[in-house]
Amino acid sequence: MTTISIDRVSRWFGNVVAVNDVSMTIAPGVTGLLGPNGAGKSTLIHMMSGFLPPSSGTVTIDGVQVWKNQQAYRQIGLVPEREAMYDFLTGHEFVLANAELHGLPDPGAAAQRALATVEMEYAQDRKVTTYSKGMKQRVKMASALVHDPAVLLLDEPFNGMDPRQRMHLMELLRRFGADGRTVLFSSHILEEVEQLARHIEVVVAGRHAASGDFRKIRRLMTDRPHRYLVRSSDDRALAAALIADPSTAGIELDWTEKALRIQAIDFYRFTELVPRVAKEAGIRLLTVSPADESLESVFSYLVTSA
Amino acid sequence: MNTTVARLTVRGLLGRRRGLLLLAVPALLLVLSVIIRLAVGQDESTTVNVLGTLALGTLVPLLGLIAGTGAIGPEIDDGSIIYLLAKPLPRWKIIITKLLVAIGCTVVFAAIPTYLAGVILFGNFESLALAYGVGALIAGVAYSAIFLLFGVITRHAVVVGLMYSLLWESIVGNFVTGAKTLSVQQWALSVAKRIADPGVVSSSVHLPTAVPLLIVVTLGTATLAAVRLSRLTLAGEE
Amino acid sequence: MSDSLQTSPQVPQPSQPPLEPRADVIHDIGYRHYDGARLGRSYATRSLFLLSLRGSFGLGRSIKSKILPMALLAVISLPALIIVAVAVYTKMGKLPLEYPHYLSIMQFVIAVFVAAQSPVALSRDLRFMTLPLYFSRPLTSRDYVRAKFAAMFSAMFILTALPILIMWVGSLLASMSFGYNLEHFAYGLVAAALYALLYSGIGLVIASLTPRRGFGVAAIIALFLISEAVSGIIYGVLTVKGHDHAAHWAIMINPGSLVDSTVTWLFNLRRQGLAGVPSTLGGYLFIAEIVLLAAATYGLLVRRYRKI
Repeated sequence: MTTISIDRVSRWFGNVVAVNDVSMTIAPGVTGLLGPNGAGKSTLIHMMSGFLPPSSGTVTIDGVQVWKNQQAYRQIGLVPEREAMYDFLTGHEFVLANAELHGLPDPGAAAQRALATVEMEYAQDRKVTTYSKGMKQRVKMASALVHDPAVLLLDEPFNGMDPRQRMHLMELLRRFGADGRTVLFSSHILEEVEQLARHIEVVVAGRHAASGDFRKIRRLMTDRPHRYLVRSSDDRALAAALIADPSTAGIELDWTEKALRIQAIDFYRFTELVPRVAKEAGIRLLTVSPADESLESVFSYLVTSA
Repeated sequence: MNTTVARLTVRGLLGRRRGLLLLAVPALLLVLSVIIRLAVGQDESTTVNVLGTLALGTLVPLLGLIAGTGAIGPEIDDGSIIYLLAKPLPRWKIIITKLLVAIGCTVVFAAIPTYLAGVILFGNFESLALAYGVGALIAGVAYSAIFLLFGVITRHAVVVGLMYSLLWESIVGNFVTGAKTLSVQQWALSVAKRIADPGVVSSSVHLPTAVPLLIVVTLGTATLAAVRLSRLTLAGEE
Repeated sequence: MSDSLQTSPQVPQPSQPPLEPRADVIHDIGYRHYDGARLGRSYATRSLFLLSLRGSFGLGRSIKSKILPMALLAVISLPALIIVAVAVYTKMGKLPLEYPHYLSIMQFVIAVFVAAQSPVALSRDLRFMTLPLYFSRPLTSRDYVRAKFAAMFSAMFILTALPILIMWVGSLLASMSFGYNLEHFAYGLVAAALYALLYSGIGLVIASLTPRRGFGVAAIIALFLISEAVSGIIYGVLTVKGHDHAAHWAIMINPGSLVDSTVTWLFNLRRQGLAGVPSTLGGYLFIAEIVLLAAATYGLLVRRYRKI
């Protein structure tokens, strides 16, 4: 059970502040680091992997500093974003070399296991230059897994993967998270993060914008009305009854969906209101679903308000 | 010394184009030596000229440059060095291994061919061939260390290395007499002078001065390179 | 379609679906076609030429890329300035050395410039694979080569002609013989042009072979260094054996001495150092070699860029 602690970390390059007073804790399980391009995700991952010292603050893994600490790499597996690898090696040789560099007792077996995990055995004897982008990504993953690390850091790992490879990689990461490893991956593609990570850390323009389960984050955003999609046996009557209550900010009749779109400013009051009103008016409720609890709406809210 | 790092460095260094250049240089020297021997016969001044100016003065620094910067420069440049650094491997071990590979290259592609050229041109008389061979070996060691350091500190290692060997060693060394004390070439020549029969090889630096300087420079640059490598950063996005 | 509760009393029945099927359409959101004048291939070639020429001196790039070329410009001009200053002050009647010979002394500076800047011109496009972007425009590969070659030649000519110019202006300031100096200034310019032509051709061919800049620099300087050392040795060997005139054939493998010797012979200048031709036939052959080398390097470049 390894935890990464980022404590009041800032990093600046001359006049440009890339990371601004960020504090976060990455616990075991899968965490998604989310943010637009240029938000500082790569900078944070480089600091967590010991390749960039923070200008202020500390980055520690289980209390031990990562910067200039070679032994820490026993527990860290890093999948960098840049594509460059030792091109003249075959996939198998590359993973094997990584296994040997870790000082593993049986590098051949470890390499074989790692390649099997990422399903790259069929191409392992071809040179890396002949690989497609997704294949290179998988070999990088294998090299990061070969020493069975407790922490896995992935910088934009789904770049260039086709849907099948992406699904496979997600399954892999899910399994690792369930095993108790600490997996952190960065992305700016919301669907990936939504499907994979329960816990997200949102970084916008170098600042830590939000942390936690994205649905719970949504609840915390009180100054934005919640939107609901409701279908019932009599939409108009229901609409009329709901608008009478102050917790409803606005109602739209959506012809295409044949439903009501309701904006509610008070979440708890509204959840109690709808069934009561429907029962009193004798209206049957067919569908009640939140229309904006997607990560996308959370994210766009965070990005625009930051 | 780490065998995996060594293997990776050797394979990277002897890849197609660089490998060709590394081979072409000594090949040229040997071919030229054969031609000259056939044309002129055994001539001491010609031999000293060839071994001193061409081999020790031009080919050895060039090979040291290619081997020293090539052992680490391209990896840092394209970022693939991260796979060496994200391991529980002490940085000095990485540097020493790469240095040994670079030195090995200079031995194989510069020192031994220099000795062979000397033998072709002059046989074993006056220990001339041996003297220059050893001188080339020592110069190769020092150059490899210096240029490996350049490869770690700057992305323009080759250009900087050229400036150093051209401006410092050739031009400044020829015009500013004091600067000769600080020239790797002169140190190598002083060792060669000691090995060859007296009066054959000339050098501006005394052996007692040259040897400590060689040791200090080699060890010092290697240490500095290891320190800089341990502080290597990857700054944000590309 | 949606309907707001706050609006009109005329509301269609809730059960009625939208009337017409939705058409597939692309809306005009302001993207405008460019219908104006397009400047064409020659403009593109000229622009590439200017860009490469400026890039050779680091103009339009970062400060770091200006250091070396500007330093080399300074290094090649400084001795000329000193010579001129001394000549003016001591009121010499003649400049202490011939215009072309100044360049032969400064051969190394010229070689370093071409070694450092040829990869600057070509390696970036090879490394980041932007050539397909260039060639999917009206610019053809021949235009590309033409522009790059012309730019490198011009940059080198600026480098080599500058000190010659300084010397000539100095001669004017020192009120030396006008006709004589004008004539020799012309000789100097010819030498400058030949150095520029030969060196830039060789440098560009080698630089075009590798996407790695550092490697290109090393290869070019290696060629110049080794060719000089080898020609020096062959010259030495031949002189030792008594073939003083034939020894000059060794110059054919050294581009710098080649230009120097040819110009010295052509304009009947004072000989110095290695410079000199083996015979009149040799002189013509030297000229032919220069022309051939220039043409060959250009041709090789065209061939290299025909298929990328």
